[in-house]
Amino acid sequence: MTLILDILTTAAILFVIATGLLTIFGVLKIINFAHGAWLTIGAYCAVAVGQLGWSPWLAFPVAFVVGAVLGGLTERFIVRPLYARPLDAILATWGLGIVVGQLITLGFGRDVQFTAPLLPGTADILGTSYSIYRLFALGAAIVIGLGFSWLMEGTRLGLSARAVIMNEALAHVLGLDTRRIRWVTFMIGCGLAGLAGVLLTPLTSVDPNMGLAWLVGSFMLVMVAGQSFAALALACLLLGGAQVLVSTFLSPILGGITVAVLAAIILRISPKGFSRV
Amino acid sequence: MAEALQDATVKLSLDGVTSGYGAIDVLRGVSLDIREGEIFALMGKNGMGKTTLLKTILGAIRASAGRIRYEGAEITGAEPRALIAAGIGYAPQDQPLFQDLSIRDNLRLALPGDAHLPSALERVYGHFPFLADRLAQKAGTLSGGEQKMLIIARALMTEPRLLLIDEISEGLQPTVIARIAEALREERRSRGTTILLVEQNLDFALGIADRWAVLKLGTIDDAGPAGADAHSRILRHLQI
Ligand SMILES: Nc1ncnc2c1ncn2[C@@H]1O[C@H](COP(=O)(O)OP(=O)(O)OP(=O)(O)O)[C@@H](O)[C@H]1O
Ligand SMILES: [Mg+2]
Repeated sequence: MTLILDILTTAAILFVIATGLLTIFGVLKIINFAHGAWLTIGAYCAVAVGQLGWSPWLAFPVAFVVGAVLGGLTERFIVRPLYARPLDAILATWGLGIVVGQLITLGFGRDVQFTAPLLPGTADILGTSYSIYRLFALGAAIVIGLGFSWLMEGTRLGLSARAVIMNEALAHVLGLDTRRIRWVTFMIGCGLAGLAGVLLTPLTSVDPNMGLAWLVGSFMLVMVAGQSFAALALACLLLGGAQVLVSTFLSPILGGITVAVLAAIILRISPKGFSRV
Repeated sequence: MAEALQDATVKLSLDGVTSGYGAIDVLRGVSLDIREGEIFALMGKNGMGKTTLLKTILGAIRASAGRIRYEGAEITGAEPRALIAAGIGYAPQDQPLFQDLSIRDNLRLALPGDAHLPSALERVYGHFPFLADRLAQKAGTLSGGEQKMLIIARALMTEPRLLLIDEISEGLQPTVIARIAEALREERRSRGTTILLVEQNLDFALGIADRWAVLKLGTIDDAGPAGADAHSRILRHLQI
């Protein structure tokens, strides 16, 4: 039972991170290699909120807003000028990720940080006791995932974003404001990464490079999923599940590379990955 | 004075427009006047630059020389978004629909917001009633003819004052062509819409157009009114 809950929690958090990456990839046609840095920013928002003595719950809105605002500035001043040169744009996001990591080191030091537990204690579920916070993280990730699906499927902004993903040239000649859609998408994607960072803080240690492993994992998931959110959810569940199993039964270090290795194998066997799901 | 009066009746004018892709010029100094309320057929063989011309008018491709005026104001270099807001409608030729979106969402994307969606939908159902019963169907699963009607319907959603239509009759059987011709005639009759029709189907084009021009290697090669000799004159240009 603990194992199942662990798998679900890991998959749900992976999904929150990877949906942002996938949406940015779909709309802007670039992989945002700074995405991991936004996860770190989110986590340090939680640390900062703790140091300021605010309620730890405030970390969620703070991280979303900080992530989205910094994302908006990044899109406007770094990605947009390079839009005609996608490779340079991707390199620029990679460099930005490194800069963000250094800035955080400057501000908070290299050491691992800890935050106050949000929800201490355990709950009994079908006979096993399980951390209440992990249950909350699972629920929160599912709520965020559902909220995001609603945004994409149920709102005009989501429809416009999907139109740009499917056929940007057509969206442009129909008069959609493709520039604004790219901007808002980048902001929301970065905000989601920030949220995921806060969700993670009580579960893992917070250090300036914590985002990197998650970036690599979610990048591979996006490659496997193609442009489909359903495929992404499935990939998170399967590969995230495999990661938990390997970490639990073999070694946590192997677990860390499970997603990347499995994704590479899947892409080798079926270049389209799960995109037809 | 006389010139000013004449200007007032010109809906769209191109003056020495040159444009293309990268370093290659496809249009080489195209000059053309489309009058208020007329249906104008632009003919020409494959690859002569007809689509490039429409995309240049709409601002999807930038003119490297020349001027484009719409309703008396210069629009050279304007963005599609601004021109659509100013009353231009476009029915594109290549990949014209979001295949994986429903009919309703395809139509919805023509409008900048959902406030006027119900009334705009009602309007286009008037031309193509089948759309009303199939709103949830994905555009990609419609038949070829139904897709063409959806493309026209979408272009009509914004009640454009100038319609740019790119080879809508391509691959269609006569009954569907007739329905589209009727919709365009009705649109002009009721709202005075000016239509620039890019076509290769002579019978369809001359059946509804007032004037025509032939585009050849990026310039206007011949032009005239849709009179008795139009058919044979255009045919001469379209033959290889
Ligand atoms: N995106 C592009 N990049 C480079 N060249 C292009 C591009 N699109 C069109 N061309 C070239 O420009 C020329 C004119 O193309 P255009 O599509 O305007 O012709 P057309 O008259 O519409 O032809 P058709 O009747 O086949 O639709 C062609 O030689 C074509 O190869
Ligand atoms: Mg064409």
